[in-house]
Amino acid sequence: MAVQNPDTPVSRLVPSDRRGISDQEVARGLTSGEAWAVAEAWHRFAPMVLTVAERSLGSKSEAQDVAQEVFCRLYAKVHTLREPAALRSFVFSFAVRVLKSELRRRKARAWLSFHRPETLIELGAGTLDVEGRDLLRRFYGLLDRLSTEDRLVFALRHLESMTVEEVAETMSLSVSTVKRRLAHGTKRFDRFLEREPELARLLDGKGWGRS
Amino acid sequence: MGAVMKRAPGDGERQSKALEAVTGLIREQVVPPTTAELQYGLQGLFARLAEGDARRRGGRWRWSFAGLGTAAVLAVVALAVVRPRLQTTAAPSLPALTYQVHGGSLIAGGYLRESGGDGIKLSFSEGTEFVLMPGTHGRLRSVGASGARIAIEQGTAYFQVTPNSGRTWLVDVGPFLVTVKGTVFTVSWDPLRERFELRLRRGRVAVSGPVSGGDIVLRDGQRLTVDLPGAQTLITEDQDKGGKGLAGKGEGAHAPPSATRAEFEPPRLAPAGPAETASPGRGRAGAAPAGRPARTERPLRWSEALASGDWDAILADADRVGVREILDGASSEDLFALADAARYRRRLDLAREALLAQRRRFSASTRASDAAFLLGRVEEAGGGDSARALRWYDEYLARAPAGTYASEALGRRMTLIKQREGATRARPIAEEYLRRFPQGTYAGSARALLH
Repeated sequence: MAVQNPDTPVSRLVPSDRRGISDQEVARGLTSGEAWAVAEAWHRFAPMVLTVAERSLGSKSEAQDVAQEVFCRLYAKVHTLREPAALRSFVFSFAVRVLKSELRRRKARAWLSFHRPETLIELGAGTLDVEGRDLLRRFYGLLDRLSTEDRLVFALRHLESMTVEEVAETMSLSVSTVKRRLAHGTKRFDRFLEREPELARLLDGKGWGRS
Repeated sequence: MGAVMKRAPGDGERQSKALEAVTGLIREQVVPPTTAELQYGLQGLFARLAEGDARRRGGRWRWSFAGLGTAAVLAVVALAVVRPRLQTTAAPSLPALTYQVHGGSLIAGGYLRESGGDGIKLSFSEGTEFVLMPGTHGRLRSVGASGARIAIEQGTAYFQVTPNSGRTWLVDVGPFLVTVKGTVFTVSWDPLRERFELRLRRGRVAVSGPVSGGDIVLRDGQRLTVDLPGAQTLITEDQDKGGKGLAGKGEGAHAPPSATRAEFEPPRLAPAGPAETASPGRGRAGAAPAGRPARTERPLRWSEALASGDWDAILADADRVGVREILDGASSEDLFALADAARYRRRLDLAREALLAQRRRFSASTRASDAAFLLGRVEEAGGGDSARALRWYDEYLARAPAGTYASEALGRRMTLIKQREGATRARPIAEEYLRRFPQGTYAGSARALLH
């Protein structure tokens, strides 16, 4: 069985008191347009945004584009932040919104071009063998066929290990809507399982190419 | 698979475990960014913020164009309403790319053959230009409305890509993949010395491949050099590319050996005779070899079906048209799609035949090399003679020592040698593996062999 990382809660991805500066101070620095605050916010929160985006999109380079967009929007909108201590969740909500836009743009592109682009899987570690990459390509192909909101709900719940309530709050949805969207995604995953021969190997604990 | 599936007891548990397994695999693959990646990202952010400042200064122009923008939005909405009714005739919003080849021609498998010794130039309809310097071996892998993909197998090429967020331009350079936004750059690959170099004049590119720390994003004026045998990755910058505005306040500018502007100039290519014009509809990469009758058009695009997971549809299509006819007449791309679909469905004989046809009919292509590796995998999956699998891996490693599957081929070789001949014979391979791929899939097995 491939060694799996335990769930990595978003809050653990970066230390909260890097260089002893609080989130409130960073938020105030951003509001005043201080360059050090931009750099500090980036170092503090970019790993979280990059990780969420890469897991959701299946692409490291697209995740980098998303992160750039998130921090540009953050810089432009930080003055609307009422509670400076809540900077982390403010950034995360921007990340989810930008991800939603990116996924919608992808769908529109596919629709307008009459062509379903090949799902390119480009995850950072790059330690999977060809069968493992194929499996993930097909899994992200499945996610591509979900609606934008279904996909984000599915990703936040299953890839980010957020609770249903956290997903609902992050996406400004009701708990019952989140549950309905999750059920839809899960149904699609069921069908994926029926057709997925390689998954049996993963479940049998053999992993890929590690014998 | 029947349309109505009754859930057996334990299905829910199996599904839940499967979901955990797949998502766990994704979490395992997504690693936090390195310090260097964060630094590049921050430089990019400062540059974008500085651009935003400049744009805001010219903000009054935006209001003058607001009415025009609204009209454009209304037109798009109107088009969206009408479009479903016109689906068979309406043009996509991004026009299909057409291109002209100067100084050479496009031959089977998308290979670009130079005719005059002055290099080859591809001019795309929306202004993008690719120039292959004399003696450079390249292949146009695909062209569509959404962009193009080209492979540089040896030599140096110049790219001037017109910015357009709707299009994706990809350049395979040896084992590296360059993802291009609007930009101007020169790239070269020396397969013998396994040396990659990219010089970026302006714009942004992301380079992925066998470099430590994952993808590298390059910005204006940066030069990336990767020496694979020496395991060295070097990024340098032009001296005149200092920060400006907010960007100037960014952290950690790099030290600067410079590349001269002259190095970025494209070769001057006189259009030698009438240029070969092509569009995705005809003469595209992967077309049947010259002299061979064009294959029967199939309504199903196999590459798309493969991407959608519809491999049963590919296999059914192949059975309907006739496997022999497909093996003899299909494009390189379709043969690969067929081989993939057959592998996924465990029709290993068909996968083997498709891969062998790939090697026989497109012997000079990168896919032919890749087929050697996949043939090894097919032999192993079929539980057949591991000696045969080993021969395929050896063949792949000889043909593509720095190819896409080099790490896996060497890893499989190490594993099979250990099984067949014992740990002692496998140890030198383990050493080689760790030297070349210290972070590779088989690094753990290699270390275990050595200790």
